[in-house]
Amino acid sequence: MKHLMENVLDRLSKHNAEGDLFYTTSKSLKLSSQKGALSEYKVSSAQILGVRAIKDGRIGISYTEALDDESVNLLVKEVIKNAEMSAENHHEKILNISGSLSDEVYYPEDFVDIKEKISKALELEAKPKMLDSRVVAVPYNAYSESENHQVYLNSYGRFTTYKDKHYSVASSALMDQLGKKANFYDYHLARSFHDLNWDKVVQNSLYHASHLLEEKTLPTGKYSVKFNSDCLKNIIECFGNFYSAKSAIDKVNPWAEKIGQEVVSKDISIIDHPLYEKAFRISKFDSEGVERKVMPLVSDGVLKNIYHNSATAQYFKTQTTGHASRGAGSALNVSGTHLLIQGQNAKTAPAKFLEVIQLDGLYSGANRVTGSFSVGVKGYVWENGEKTMTFGNMTLSGNLSDLLNHVEVLGLDLESSTDESFFSVPLVFDGVSLAGP
Amino acid sequence: MQLLSTHVAQDVISHGLEMGADFVDLFIERTHSEGILYKNSKAEDIQSGTIFGIGIRLIHGEQALYGYTNLTDREELLRITTLLGAQIGAKGVGNRSINFEALKYPKIPTITDQEVDAHYKLSYLKKIDERLRKDQKVSQVMLNFSQKKQVVEIYNSEGLMASEERPYIRLFHQVVMKDGKNQSEASFGPGATGGWNFIEGLNLEHNCDTLIKQATTMLHASPCPAGKMPVVIDNGFGGVIFHEACGHLLETTSVEKKASVFWDKMGEQIAHTALSAVDDGTIHGAWGSLSIDDEGMPTQKTLLIEKGILKNFISDRLGEKKSGHKRTGSGRRQSYKFAPASRMRNTYIEKGEYDLDQIIASVPDGLYAKKMGGGSVDPSTGQFNFSVQEAYLIKNGKISAPVKGATLIGTGPEVLGRISMVGKNLELMAGMCGSVSGSIPTTVGQPPIKVDDILVGGEA
Repeated sequence: MKHLMENVLDRLSKHNAEGDLFYTTSKSLKLSSQKGALSEYKVSSAQILGVRAIKDGRIGISYTEALDDESVNLLVKEVIKNAEMSAENHHEKILNISGSLSDEVYYPEDFVDIKEKISKALELEAKPKMLDSRVVAVPYNAYSESENHQVYLNSYGRFTTYKDKHYSVASSALMDQLGKKANFYDYHLARSFHDLNWDKVVQNSLYHASHLLEEKTLPTGKYSVKFNSDCLKNIIECFGNFYSAKSAIDKVNPWAEKIGQEVVSKDISIIDHPLYEKAFRISKFDSEGVERKVMPLVSDGVLKNIYHNSATAQYFKTQTTGHASRGAGSALNVSGTHLLIQGQNAKTAPAKFLEVIQLDGLYSGANRVTGSFSVGVKGYVWENGEKTMTFGNMTLSGNLSDLLNHVEVLGLDLESSTDESFFSVPLVFDGVSLAGP
Repeated sequence: MQLLSTHVAQDVISHGLEMGADFVDLFIERTHSEGILYKNSKAEDIQSGTIFGIGIRLIHGEQALYGYTNLTDREELLRITTLLGAQIGAKGVGNRSINFEALKYPKIPTITDQEVDAHYKLSYLKKIDERLRKDQKVSQVMLNFSQKKQVVEIYNSEGLMASEERPYIRLFHQVVMKDGKNQSEASFGPGATGGWNFIEGLNLEHNCDTLIKQATTMLHASPCPAGKMPVVIDNGFGGVIFHEACGHLLETTSVEKKASVFWDKMGEQIAHTALSAVDDGTIHGAWGSLSIDDEGMPTQKTLLIEKGILKNFISDRLGEKKSGHKRTGSGRRQSYKFAPASRMRNTYIEKGEYDLDQIIASVPDGLYAKKMGGGSVDPSTGQFNFSVQEAYLIKNGKISAPVKGATLIGTGPEVLGRISMVGKNLELMAGMCGSVSGSIPTTVGQPPIKVDDILVGGEA
């Protein structure tokens, strides 16, 4: 494949263009069941070759999944044509770096027979029904495995390879109790089949679904709220533009001009940590082949850095932070890696607070320009260290900056999201607005 | 040009039957896409690409086995078929030759294409950008133009051979406005099956004015009060609530698992008598229209609800097998990477008898949701949550102050029973729908409707 990629770059150079390419292959298997039998068995193998060309300061992008000569010829022709039609962009260049980097995670050889996988997948549907008679269906259940391999090459000889394989298991429990319905979904990711925690996803689905059957609404008002790690991750990631230099150029980053200023409570610090050893997967380099390193985003409440690729760095006359992101068929952008929210001045939990375990409609109810959002929430009421009630059918409205400025740190140990990409100290947000009927 | 040799299709399907499948189909796709992102008053990204691949499905009883590949050689397709067939564990009928017959079907007209070059398209986008930026408060304009041509071929073990060329075009507009510390945004994304003539047919001036008005209104809007109240939802994208909170619950994908609250309600009153709704794949040029679905069945207009009574589900081949509800030409998928599933096409509430003014006048104190945003729904419980992009309070039967941050929360069955007035002015809007078989173009729509009582989320 490297030979084909070099050939494409040679052909770009004949058009007086430089470029970079991604070649990605993937294989996957997915099993799910219904009514006690395997209902879905899906296998795949796919590939895509994507090229970015820069000609006379103009950028074009093209991709193809077919790699016959005709398709590759079309790829080259179109990427040049696209570049010629684009506006001039003197900030975006192919990085003049060379050498090879590899980021290929070791994973144990998979000797598990497909029959065993199918048998376990069938249990994902059977067990919830067996363990609780109120379960009327397991609408989502799946065993999946996925293997991805990505190769990058640019006109200056930068060559990187990335290989990853992961396994996942998911289950749900749709319960019915006297006509009242509740559903909850959980999943688990692992590096090998044998590390999958099948029982955990079933037990968690049952536990939360059974509690959600009892959900009641709360009076409309202001509450102290703790989001579980997955919900907090979703909220923080929904407003990823707050840390993005690309969004700053596009004038949709409200923190664009606040570097060096206090943007959140002094009690918290936020770090982008691509190499965090407790994360599911470390990330050694970005999509321009730049080696990554740990970067503070917010220190003691003060905004220190935002994410840059080489183009945004050129625009702001600074250095890339190694946060370039680009797929085979997409334009150069920026994105973060693993986020760690650390804290200080930990306090004891308030006597009463709400724990949010489910958010509905976050992305549609969010204004990324202002940080405001409105979202359906469900969860538990905690009083004096005990769960006293399940709440639901409520909307929570807030603003990211307001939330992070009215926060109390409850401890210093980091709690992980389910996908092990987000880690935060336990936080309680004060005066959060919840509305019910 | 044929995407896959008929002989190879015959060999692969025969092999699937030999492996014990009751039914085998192949879905071959070649899609060429072009996109222009016009931002910061220039063409920032221009891209194009081709996706190509083949999906192979074996059905045995109610079990579906699916695989896909980018490779078209016979050996690779037979390899995947063998891999899938090995899971059936039954002996097939031996070597069977399949004689394909090309499906003849009525072509649903698309909007006629006009070949224009990229320079012309860019000058058109520039014109919109300049028009929107005439308002000094506009801080950003993003125009995302996309056009694609999807060519599909479908073969199955019943001898079907069908193909269709599907042209899509869409122009998504987004404007960001800033005034001091206040910021707002507004968006609009018309789309169609067809070519450039659709874009030329849009009313550029009117659309720009509407976007500016929406963003300006929301710039200084007050927070929306929370609580239960009557809500008037205006036409067009207002139909997203019906799509999410009811349409998905009528897909056999949910019904067959009993994961829909409507799974056993056929023939029953599930909505107010004021409401009738359809899912129609045959509307000329509409974003969600198809001549044949991704299983090779000619599409149709399906009556879902008539005067509140559930009449039909949205069904595909496997859905029919599992739930007993007849196929409706609704087997759809994002690409060859997904097995088909029962999915909506152009889904809307049919027009009623009231003017918007009459509906507003009937509400003493409530909310007017002029433009809906997106949302989500859990089909198993029917619970939904939607944001409102542009909203106003209704006071004494009149539209009053604009409010921001409004969300609508409820369950599909509850809301369907509370739609008491349906307006005359039906409008359809393009959207993308994500579900089990990927992200597909669908149309939502409705005339203005009044929901007697719904939970509005806002500031406490």
